[in-house]
This record gives sequence, C-alpha cells and structure tokens, in this order.
Amino acid sequence: MAEPTSGARTILEARSVRRTYAFGTIGVPVLLGADLVVAEGEWLAILGSSGSGKSTLLHLLGGLDRPDPDGGEVRFAGQRVAFGRGGALDTYRNRDIGFVFQFYHLLPELTVLENALLPSLVGAWGPLGQERRKAGRALALSLLAEFGLSHRLTHRPAQLSGGERQRVAIARALVNSPRVLLADEPTGNLDTHTGAGILDLLAARHAAGLTLVMVTHDPEVARRASRVVRLDDGRIVADR
Amino acid sequence: MYAALLSNRYLTSRLIPFIAIGAVGLCVALVVTVVSVMTGFLDMLKASGRTIVGDVIVSSGLGGIPYSDELLATIRANPDVQGATPLIDTIGLLRMPYPAGPQKEVSHVQVWAVDPASLATVTDYAKDLYWRPPATEAAAAAMTPEDPRRSLKPAVLTDGETLVQSSTGRPGITLGMHVSVGNSRQRDGSYLPRYGWFMPGHDVTLTVVPVSGQGKIAEPREQIFPIVNEVQTGIYEVDRNRIYIPLTEGQRLLRLDEAPLYDLSAEPDAAGNYPIIGTTPARITKVLVRAKPGVSADDLKKSIGSIYADFAERIAKDPTRTARASSIVNILTWEEQLRDLITPVEKEREMMRVLFSLIYLVCAGLILSIFWAIVVEKTRDIGILRAIGASRLGVMWIFLRYGLVIGVVGSGLGVALAWMIIRNINAIHLAIGSDAPSGMWIGGYVAAGLCLIGLVRALWRQRLLSVLLWLLGTLVLALAATLLLFHKGTLIWDPSVYYFTIIPDQVDWTTAWTTAVGGILFSVIGAAIPASKAADIDPVEALHYG
Repeated sequence: MAEPTSGARTILEARSVRRTYAFGTIGVPVLLGADLVVAEGEWLAILGSSGSGKSTLLHLLGGLDRPDPDGGEVRFAGQRVAFGRGGALDTYRNRDIGFVFQFYHLLPELTVLENALLPSLVGAWGPLGQERRKAGRALALSLLAEFGLSHRLTHRPAQLSGGERQRVAIARALVNSPRVLLADEPTGNLDTHTGAGILDLLAARHAAGLTLVMVTHDPEVARRASRVVRLDDGRIVADR
Repeated sequence: MYAALLSNRYLTSRLIPFIAIGAVGLCVALVVTVVSVMTGFLDMLKASGRTIVGDVIVSSGLGGIPYSDELLATIRANPDVQGATPLIDTIGLLRMPYPAGPQKEVSHVQVWAVDPASLATVTDYAKDLYWRPPATEAAAAAMTPEDPRRSLKPAVLTDGETLVQSSTGRPGITLGMHVSVGNSRQRDGSYLPRYGWFMPGHDVTLTVVPVSGQGKIAEPREQIFPIVNEVQTGIYEVDRNRIYIPLTEGQRLLRLDEAPLYDLSAEPDAAGNYPIIGTTPARITKVLVRAKPGVSADDLKKSIGSIYADFAERIAKDPTRTARASSIVNILTWEEQLRDLITPVEKEREMMRVLFSLIYLVCAGLILSIFWAIVVEKTRDIGILRAIGASRLGVMWIFLRYGLVIGVVGSGLGVALAWMIIRNINAIHLAIGSDAPSGMWIGGYVAAGLCLIGLVRALWRQRLLSVLLWLLGTLVLALAATLLLFHKGTLIWDPSVYYFTIIPDQVDWTTAWTTAVGGILFSVIGAAIPASKAADIDPVEALHYG
C-alpha cells in the first residue's frame, strides 16, 4: 500500500479500488486494485502516462465515480464514502472536496464571481443557507482578490486567458473551504510559465495547510509535490 | 439558489427559449380566442333567445287558441309569471317600396302579429327598436353627420312601440333590421340608409294566406302598412326575416278575428244569409310567457302546462262556448324552442375545444425537443454541477424550472394576446373586411426596398446567412405588400351564416385560466423528460463530453 511517511493523520484513503468500464459487452479494467493513503496536509502527485488510470483514481477519491461492486472502498477522514447514497455523496463533493480540472470547466453563462461562488449556493437553503451564501461570497471575493482577479469579477470565462480561467476554477474549488483539493492536470492546458504560476498558487494553499492530490503526466510538475506515486496499468507501482 | 441563477441565465442568454415562449403563447392564445368566441356566441344566442321569445312558449295548431284573453289573465295571475303576451306567428310576402318603378322587390318574411305593449313585458321588443332620436346632445354629437337618427322625432319610437303611425292613425309595421336592403351596417355598428332608402315612413304591402282550422287555404289577403320603425335583435336570422304588425290586423288578415257564427242547418233568408246564432272568438297561435326573476323556465313550463290544461277543460265543459281550446298544444322552454340553434353551437364549441387542445401536445413536443437540445448542449455544465455537489434532483429542477418559467410566461402572454384579439375582434374583422389603406402597402414596399439594400450589402460582403435572411425579408415584405395592394376586403364572419351581426368580444375567463394552466402543465411535462435525462447523466462522462 502507498502510504505517507510523515506519520500525519490520514485524510483520504483508497483500499483495493478497482474500476472497470463497460463498452457494450466488453469490460475494460482501468484500475486493478489501487491502494493509496493520503495524509492531512500532504501534497500528493499521482504520476502516470495517458490511460494509466490516474484520472479515474482521482474521480473515485472525489466521489465523482464509484468503484466496481466489491471493488474496494474509499475513506475520507476515517469514514467510508457512501457511493450508494446520493445525498451524502453530493454533500461530500460539495463540502469536503474541491475539484480543479485540466480544461477549467467554468460555466460560460456565469460571471467570474458567480462561477467562483457557485458551490456555496448548492444546498444553501433557509437562514443557515443564507449565512453560507454570505460567507461563500466573502470568501470568493477574497480568493479572487488574492488570485489577482478583482478587476475581472463581472467578466465571462470567454473573456479570460487560460491562466485566469484556471485561477477562477481554483477559487471555485476552494470557496467551501474543503479539506482536500483534487486537481486533474491543472497545468495540462497551459504554457510553462502560466502553469508555473498556477503551481505557485497551489503551493501557497498547500503551505496554508490544504491537502492536495494532483494528477499529472509531467514529472516536472509532479516534482513540486511533497510525495509522488506512480500509476501504471491500473496499479500503483512506485511511491516516494 | 443555483437552480434559479442558472435557469435565468440559460433563459436570457439565447434565442431559443423566446421561440418556445412564443410558441406556448400562440398555442394558448389560439385556444382561448377560439373557445371564448364560441362561448360568447353561445351565450349571446341563449341570452338573445330568451329576450326574443320569453321563457316559455305555448304553441297551438292552425286552429289557434280561442278565448286567449281569459287564458292570458289566468297566466298573468300566476305568481311565477312576470308577463305574458299573445302572438300570431305565420309567414307572408312583403312587397318592398324599392326599387323605383312598378316592379318592386318582394321578400318572404316571418310575420309576428303582436300586442306591442304586453310583448314589451315578455321580450326586449321595445329596447330592440333601432330608430330612436339621440337621448342627449352628447349622443347626437357622437353620431356621424349623415346618421338619420340625428334628425328623428320622438314619434318614431312611440310609433314603433305602439305599431301605430301617429301622424295618420294607420296601423304600422316594424321590420327586422336586415329585412330591407336599405340598411347599411357601419364600422361602429350603426346603420346608414343605402341607395337612399331610409325605411321608416315608406309603405310596404304584406300578403298572407289564411288557413282554416281544417287546414284549407283561403284566398290570400294583403294590406298596406307604413313602416314605423325597424328592430335589431342581434340575431341575424331573426333580423333578416321577421316583421311585426298589430295583433288585431294579423287576426283580421288571417281570419282569426271574432266573427259571426251562422247556423248552416237553417234556411237562409231572402238575401241568402244564414241566421246568426252567436260569435266565434278571436284566436291566437302562440302565447309567450316571461318568468319572474329567480323562477326557472322548466318550473314555469310545468305551471303553464297545468294552467293550460285547466283552461282547456273549463272551456270544453262550458256549453255556452262556441269554440274549443285544443288539448294538444306544444309548451316549450326557450331553450327547447331554440334547440335547433343552440345544440349545434354547443357541439361545435366542444369539438373546437378538443381539437384545439391537441395543440397542447404540439406545445409539449416543442418544449421537449428544445430542452433536449439544450440538455445535450449543456451536458458538460451538468457534469460540472455534479462535481461541485449539485444533486440529481437539483439538476433536474434547473430544467423543470426553466420549463415552468417558459410555461408561465408563455401562457401569460398567450392569455394577454387572446384578450387583445378578442376585445378588438370586431375592429380586426372590419379591418380585414375593408380595403387595405394605401399607406400599408406603400410602407410594405418601402420596407422590402430597405431589405433589398441589406441584401445587396450582404452579397457584397459574401455573408451567406445574412444573404439568406435579407432575401427572405425582402420576399416576405414584398409579398405582404402585394397582398395588401390587391386586398379588397374579405368578410370572414358572414352574418348570413353566423346568426349574430357582431362577433362576441368577451374573454371566457374559465377557459383562459384552464388553458393557461394546461399550457404551464404541458410545458413542464415537455421539460420533465429532458430534465430527467439531465439528472441521469453520469458526471464523469459529462465532464468528458465535447
């Protein structure tokens, strides 16, 4: 099992997770029993070539995808992630996890600010929800200011550069103050210089205590992490 | 919160929802307009029917009802009765005063010989007299200068009410407004004389054929009457055919008046006359009865049936009577009397409602196809939303809410559009029935010319879509202008086919609300299927979409 060496508390854990995709009658196994333990405050990079199963593992860790039946389990803060319970899984994705994608995935009809505060609007009903929305708005404004986007609040994603879009996506992932940020090739669509800026930004959040799990195919990017696991053909083959 | 935000953004950031709103609105407007007009038509038919014949009609055969004064007195004494009037209903030929020269036009007419005073207590006869002087100076000022009512004397109204020409003392006649071709209906619903024929004051000759109790036809009889006024009931069939003469004149012409009774078994005197042994009473063929407010026509019908049976029995048992009242008479409510008119309209209305309600399915199908396309387009957005914790129901609600807004806005606009059309339907009808103003087709050609300039510009810039749109605009506007140029008025609502001379212009609000609710419901149903599809989208697949 790939485990941290720091001895810090485990925040996220994959136990023998397997995932097979069905294409008609043909089953294509992508993950063949991956074991992974992520410590709180760790910056973990999952390195692998295209098709190695690294994005699938990230999706399983984030509750976006579910393992095969009897295909292992994912635990968050010691609790088994309930893939069968829609409400609990939605809450997990909304509150505990933040996602950053290679292609930013911002909603084109919303402004920068609206995109950033969108997760704080999910499930924010009633008086408690109002408090949450207020806090979310304040945090979104603060993050966007920190990321140098204060002058872009009312702009649409189409009016932004790639680096700016990714910064908005990171602000959106952080707006509910998740304990873990999952980043899928966060620099994969950016030039080297801009990508470095994004990694600096992630490093700053990590330094502030955020747990980071980042998928990349680029060893240079992976080198920024405190720990790197290598995935090959659906199995973790190295951990350093 | 996010559902509202996204619904609103999806709604306002593209054209297609507005097309959907327009489609829902047009569907709703179509159903509301058609059913409202049909309902108004039916209501007018029923309302007019009651004001024309009262609540209950007693009809006898050709022999008529004798001792009608006695019968009427008994009926009027009934506490459920507001009024009762005698009537003779027959057919005749009316020789009109036009055209000039010896050959005059002759029309076949329905002759009502009436007692105008009691008729006014049962029907709206007095209110329906059309020619009357303006009540106020303001009313006179509102009339066109050529309107003959401006110069009418009050006598024209009283003559119509009494069926007597006061200047000569002659018994008068009133004609339904469309019996004469001399009345030309104007845009505002008023009438002006046509071909110079203002009918009051002219003489007409009425010819009727008396029929004996045995059904034998006697020599036709005719009488010249001065026209004292004209009557507008609003039902074209009535206004086209009916004339009113005094009851006594009708009885005399039809030999239903009081007459000596001869003893034909005795020897005639030297002059050849048989001895008179009494008199036969005058007769009528119908009695119209009006119920007091709150009394139903059906209840009154039962009371009148009982009164008539007692009356006929009393007459039959009285040996001093020289005539018998037939025990077989038709007693009908006004609805039964007018069933031939009402039932087809009711059936037509329900058929229209069902047929046009099928438009709901079109509406739902349209929404479904539009939303399906939007869901496909927004698949990646749905994946993003699921990734940030939006539930399946939350995603579904975005699109259901979207459909709900389209349904509510579209239905609201549809009801508003229907209201505008219905309230102005007579003006619209008149506009369609008139030649197009020259400004309209000139404007159409000017607009087509401007589109042509746009077309040339688009051709110069080699923009295919612009070329197509400008070309379509040019062709449509040029075609519309040409149609307007040659438009010489099309009468859609022909009063000779539809009974009324005006189109009902009241919205049937029950239909409007139910149609609007139906529009909303079917919009939501149309949105529900794509919304469910959206909710079922796998987030990982959605994120990889496109």
